[in-house]
Amino acid sequence: MSYRVLLVEDDRVLRNSLCEALSVEGYIMRAAASLADAQAQLRNARPDDPVELVLLDLGLPDGDGRILLAELRRDLGPPVIVISARETEGQKILMLDEGAEDYLVKPFGIGELTARMRVALRRRGQATERALLSYCHGALRVDLKTRRVVVAGTDVHLTPTEYELLSRLVRQAGQVVTHRRLLVDVWGPEHIGQTHYLRLYMGQLRSKLEIDSADPQHLLTEPGVGYRLAEPDSNS
Amino acid sequence: MDIRRCNRVLPALLVWIVIGAAMFLCDGRLDLANMALLLVTASALAALWLPAWTSMATSAAAVLAFNWFFVPPRFTLDVDLQQNSLLLGVIMLVNWIIAGLVIRQRSLTETARAAADREYRMRQWGDALRDAGDPVAHAEALRAKLQEATGCEVAVAVFTAWDRNDESNTIFEVGLQDDEQRAGMSLCVREGKAMGPGCGRYDDLPANYLPLRGRGITLGAALIVNLGDRAQGIELIPHLQALCDQMGSALQRYLMTEHERMAREQAQLQATRNALLAAISHDYRTPLATIMGAASALKEKDKRMDTGQRQRLSGAILEESERLLRLTENTLQLARLDTPAVTLASDWESADEIVGAALKRVRQRADGERVRASVAPNIPLLWCDPILISQMLDNLLDNGLKYSEIDLPVELNVRQEIAEVIFAVVDSGPGVAPAFRQKVFEIFQRGELHNGDLWNDSLRGSGVGLAVCQAIAHVHGGRLHLIPRSEGGSVFEFRLPLRDNADFSVPSAVSKGPEQL
Repeated sequence: MSYRVLLVEDDRVLRNSLCEALSVEGYIMRAAASLADAQAQLRNARPDDPVELVLLDLGLPDGDGRILLAELRRDLGPPVIVISARETEGQKILMLDEGAEDYLVKPFGIGELTARMRVALRRRGQATERALLSYCHGALRVDLKTRRVVVAGTDVHLTPTEYELLSRLVRQAGQVVTHRRLLVDVWGPEHIGQTHYLRLYMGQLRSKLEIDSADPQHLLTEPGVGYRLAEPDSNS
Repeated sequence: MDIRRCNRVLPALLVWIVIGAAMFLCDGRLDLANMALLLVTASALAALWLPAWTSMATSAAAVLAFNWFFVPPRFTLDVDLQQNSLLLGVIMLVNWIIAGLVIRQRSLTETARAAADREYRMRQWGDALRDAGDPVAHAEALRAKLQEATGCEVAVAVFTAWDRNDESNTIFEVGLQDDEQRAGMSLCVREGKAMGPGCGRYDDLPANYLPLRGRGITLGAALIVNLGDRAQGIELIPHLQALCDQMGSALQRYLMTEHERMAREQAQLQATRNALLAAISHDYRTPLATIMGAASALKEKDKRMDTGQRQRLSGAILEESERLLRLTENTLQLARLDTPAVTLASDWESADEIVGAALKRVRQRADGERVRASVAPNIPLLWCDPILISQMLDNLLDNGLKYSEIDLPVELNVRQEIAEVIFAVVDSGPGVAPAFRQKVFEIFQRGELHNGDLWNDSLRGSGVGLAVCQAIAHVHGGRLHLIPRSEGGSVFEFRLPLRDNADFSVPSAVSKGPEQL
């Protein structure tokens, strides 16, 4: 099935080439060059022809893309992937915490973009249908219903904290989860800022789940931002 | 002032009382001439303390009293013998001469002392100014000096920066009260001349304004309130002016040196910037040339190309774009780290994760599989900016991959040595010639390879890469070294000092249940 994607980008060349490249990938592309344009298109979309994903540039001629992000999150609109030339980690964290599904810094390859889009669209499907209850990537299998974690066919014993952390990442598999989010959800809001908890527990998890914890395949680090569980295998 | 007067009158009074009493005691035992000698002695002694006219008057009164009490006929001002009249006359004359001489001597001494005081003050002030890094900070000290010299309220205003072409120079002021005083100061600075009572200009002003003069320029002014009569005192105003001028010259010296230093820095900055721009434009043009060439070929000759050719061209475009991206990131980072108050987004990070992130990035390259990583167990958490350290490792790995044979591995090792964690990137390339081992860290320096070949175009380095690594090492309080390997190749070693992590007890999740599953 083809997804309808709205690209909000004011640079004409980048807009056109992205539209072209994504059309080749099978997406139905719409484009907006400004905030007002994007808002109008989202408002006027027919119910049987909705926008299912928004690719949003932040620096738009008539305002900051953050405004649109806030509106879409408030109205439970389609997921948003931010594409921006603003490269500070603070900005990334801010956007993720404000509800962006993902954040890509320009320039990026089309492969990276489509991978992020796949993850965002899959999660969107799950949000309406069913929560992700199992995760499968390479030799690692996690079943949230039975609380089983298996590596290469062998059961792995995790402490409750390790399991909490892992299952939190599984619920957003393929996406970056910020340090802040993880600390709040696993340890509680009073532990925001205690990133060393995360380092130590991620270290323990890696030593149990990865073959080489310095070259992880599942539990990936986004320096300065958070962690990402590798995108699950497509047949899971 | 009253105390000072007391101090002068009291000893004189005492002298008169003591000697007067002695004269009454000796009355009848000494003859009149000897009594007269006592009187002369008392008068001379009293002159040591009394002001001139008082001294004269006292002497005259004493002679009259002597006549009254001792010269026959007693208790009259009449004198019966002619020789006694002569005696009284001589006593009076001698008294006055002695008093005059003593007082003259005294005033000479006082003048000498005041001159010595002034000279001492000047010398001290000169020393203070010479040693001062920033004489502006001495405006307060000048104020204290002038207050000490005059006993009056003093205000000082000085230029803190000076530019011949700039009217709005910044001014630092202490003690100024109102706008009238400010206007006076500004007039005084503009004209570069003293004004106020005793200065010969605007004598009716309530205060004295003294300019702080350098050579051919006035760099501030001092204001002395109610100097009034004391301005007439010997050489006081010239002395105050000299103090002010010392300050003026010091200010001028300082501001000129500052000016020169800034001009020099500006020139240096400009030179660096020019070098940077020249080098960047060179380093940008080369990948851009590849991209343009490949893309235009794809656009214009598309039909005549086979799939393999198209693949190679688009691959070149991608590769060169990545190089441009790296160059841009490095240049921006270098500029950012070069600012004086750079802030790091530091946190407690694990060496495993930093290496993992670097590996993930390098594995996206075609030759990324050549990188082997190993992290020693039990390395403590590191306090650092993870983005910067990743960028450093990325550059070092890029360097290692670029300058070694296509089939040789590049290693990334992390280990701990006492209070330092060492990130080492080891390659098996030709190594760097000794003459270039320090230079490789400078911006846009490319070394000579060990075997004497100049780096050819296929081995183009990103000229900022190692300079950025060096800057990143420095802002972390660490060091980056190049160590040649005996078997060929180089080791780039980054040593990061460990920081105490006081309390790292980690609570388990807020959730339920014992820590066993």
